[in-house]
Amino acid sequence: MGFLQRTNSLEDKSRIVSALKERQSSKSVLACENSEKESRFRRTETDFSNLYARDLLPSKNGEEQTMQFLLEVVDILLNYVRKTFDRSTKVLDFHHPHQLLEGMEGFNLELSDNPESLEQILVDCRDTLKYGVRTGHPRFFNQLSTGLDIIGLAGEWLTSTANTNMFTYEIAPVFVLMEQITLRKMREIIGWSNKNGDGIFSPGGAISNMYSIMAARYKYFPEVKTKGMAAVPKLVLFTSEHSHYSIKKAGAALGFGTDNVILIKCNERGKIIPADLEAKILEAKQKGYIPLFVNATAGTTVYGAFDPIQEIADICEKYNLWLHVDGILQGCNQMCAGYLFQPDKQYDVSYDTGDKAIQCGRHVDIFKFWLMWKAKVAPKIKALMMESGTTMVGYQPQGDKVNFFRMVISNPAATKSDIDFLIEEIERLGQEL
Amino acid sequence: MASPGSGFWPFGTEEGSAAAESPGTDLLPTCNGEITTMSFLQDVVDILLQYVVKSFDRSTKVIDFHYPNELLQEYNWELADQPQTLEEILLNCRTTLKYAIKTGHPRYFNQLSTGLDMVGLAADWLTSAANTNIGKMIPSDLERRILEAKQKGFVPFLVSATAGTTVYGAFDPLIAIADICKKYKIWMHVDGAWGGGLLMSRKHKWKLNGIERANSVTWNPHKMMGVPLQCSALLVREEGLMQSCNQMHASYLFQQDKHYDLSYDTGDKALQCGRHVDVFKLWLMWRAKGTIGFEAQIDKCLELAEYLYNKIKNREGYEMVFDGKPQHTNVCFWYIPPSLRGMEDSEDRTSRLMKVAPVIKARMMEYGTTMVSYQPLGDKANFFRMVISNPAATHQDIDFLIDEIERLGQDL
Repeated sequence: MGFLQRTNSLEDKSRIVSALKERQSSKSVLACENSEKESRFRRTETDFSNLYARDLLPSKNGEEQTMQFLLEVVDILLNYVRKTFDRSTKVLDFHHPHQLLEGMEGFNLELSDNPESLEQILVDCRDTLKYGVRTGHPRFFNQLSTGLDIIGLAGEWLTSTANTNMFTYEIAPVFVLMEQITLRKMREIIGWSNKNGDGIFSPGGAISNMYSIMAARYKYFPEVKTKGMAAVPKLVLFTSEHSHYSIKKAGAALGFGTDNVILIKCNERGKIIPADLEAKILEAKQKGYIPLFVNATAGTTVYGAFDPIQEIADICEKYNLWLHVDGILQGCNQMCAGYLFQPDKQYDVSYDTGDKAIQCGRHVDIFKFWLMWKAKVAPKIKALMMESGTTMVGYQPQGDKVNFFRMVISNPAATKSDIDFLIEEIERLGQEL
Repeated sequence: MASPGSGFWPFGTEEGSAAAESPGTDLLPTCNGEITTMSFLQDVVDILLQYVVKSFDRSTKVIDFHYPNELLQEYNWELADQPQTLEEILLNCRTTLKYAIKTGHPRYFNQLSTGLDMVGLAADWLTSAANTNIGKMIPSDLERRILEAKQKGFVPFLVSATAGTTVYGAFDPLIAIADICKKYKIWMHVDGAWGGGLLMSRKHKWKLNGIERANSVTWNPHKMMGVPLQCSALLVREEGLMQSCNQMHASYLFQQDKHYDLSYDTGDKALQCGRHVDVFKLWLMWRAKGTIGFEAQIDKCLELAEYLYNKIKNREGYEMVFDGKPQHTNVCFWYIPPSLRGMEDSEDRTSRLMKVAPVIKARMMEYGTTMVSYQPLGDKANFFRMVISNPAATHQDIDFLIDEIERLGQDL
């Protein structure tokens, strides 16, 4: 028995397209030789050249075409996944912007007034992947987010099929609970003993950092929410010169001004120098500013340095500052939108988490992470995070240092031989320079 | 931080020896993980396709509703230290969908983003939503307040006009607002998150006349145009403004000595650093439907809203929240149960009416037959706010909704 066992009732079965073959329930997929043969939804030869989006569900009798279209898409995706992990394929097939804009062998980016056939849409899908970068390729090391996790991919597919939004329990019951459970688990790992912390999944680290500054400002100066920045003393933020630019960006966006984001010196390894932090806090106070917030970085973008959090925490405690760690909130953002957050719902409204966000709707980002965690085990994720370390590799200057390569490994598909390959490739390509 | 220790290369050992012990590692990139990966993904697809088929089947429930504590007990959602098998992962997927709302169901009308577009879904998979003055901004009031603020020494600098308000679906008079903004040199922003979609319709775009004079516009294709979440755009008239406002020149991302045209590195325009690829599904849907396809979809939703309005405006037991044909697909109304009909307008009636919509909604959710939103506004008791952006909805579904409200509210 196992996961091929169908949970649906007979009644459900009769609804599924009759042409699709029922799959045997006793075999495990791991033993499958050819799963396609057993798949309930089977691909059949379909001519898509005369079919259009309007022929798909919810159109009447659109079920068969819809299944065939989606199976075709899945086939394209599965081929892409297979090739992604194949070291003999290229990481990318580079073209200049003007080449792609001029159109490549039938790949034309223009939008027209009349619909394209589903056949063209399938070609578009294939071409989009063809000219894209295989970020899951074992030799792609360009950015901090690389690798193609199969469970995460499944999670993303499911999320988009469920196509819901994180704002209330009413419309995202399962995902809201998952977010709560996952955030709690993450807080435990951080080491916060209080079970009732807060948190939110956001579109990225920059937005998370911005949230943290908003939360800190609200905590110390709640009047800022109603009266604005003019009602509070001149506030300053501290972060290291190697920290992510998002802190400065948030300083600009939230009305502090980038001049009031004070950069603390780092040592040669890219770690904050606590003595410089303390000196700059005192300097700001002397000028009549109010030090509000210190951002410590666990894993800086460029050097991957970890700031000395204990010492920074001591300083923050001494001067009563908010300490935020960029490594990885309700009253502050609550606007009580009556149209979303009716207090007279029949369920516990503390599960309507939408008013915590500065966005209104929020993409369900939690599911893929929850699913990966289920599949992988926390310590391994941690190990993966640490491994964070191309044949696409980033380069950049830093301060007075000229352009250097910044290798970061976060791609679980990479092996030692890929690192060897990278070194050889750099030498091969740089020989003549 | 501590050294990574022995688990340093758990996934990529050359021979794939780590594979068999924990199931997550049976998948690619593990050596020989291909067959397992393909079978696993095909199984996921199978689960999703079943869900899609059911989503469009009117005989299935919109939601299998459980209270949070029930749902917590129904299934073990906890994250454990030990990995789960792929069997369990698939069970997680099935269970998650079982308790999820079918937002593509023809009888799901709850929020502004509904419906499940097949091309958009494919695209999302590939990248890994008349007293017609009611609810509108009154231009003379705007001008009065601008002058008032100036007198107090404030500097008026931005007016946000709404094209399609959330509750009433009202469109602010953009031409008059644009005149005022020009006169006082104020930035004009149009929040067309909900109403922007009407620009695709030759029949309805007049409601946004004047939008071309705005400095900036918000438009959410994930609402009225049925693009899967999330897909929201800010459009700014002046070129280069986003860049100069937000750029921080992070040298690790935006190297100036690259071999291609740097104007295509758009990351520094955003407040975020990384950004999800939200455009692809919209692009793919646009390709598949053409502008005329979006137009037809939007016209149909507006036609259905008008159908609902015409059907209930004179029907016994219904009262409209505002008179006149709705401008968008928002239809706001009260259902008056027989026990309240003919009652004088009084505090007692209002407080009883306040309870009607929440009870009907709760019953809808418990039966799982349909969902529609309700809310109070100012001194108005809870009313239903029907919004139609679900391309799967038909006239029969509107009829069904009315019957269902009456069936569930009869005894109140």
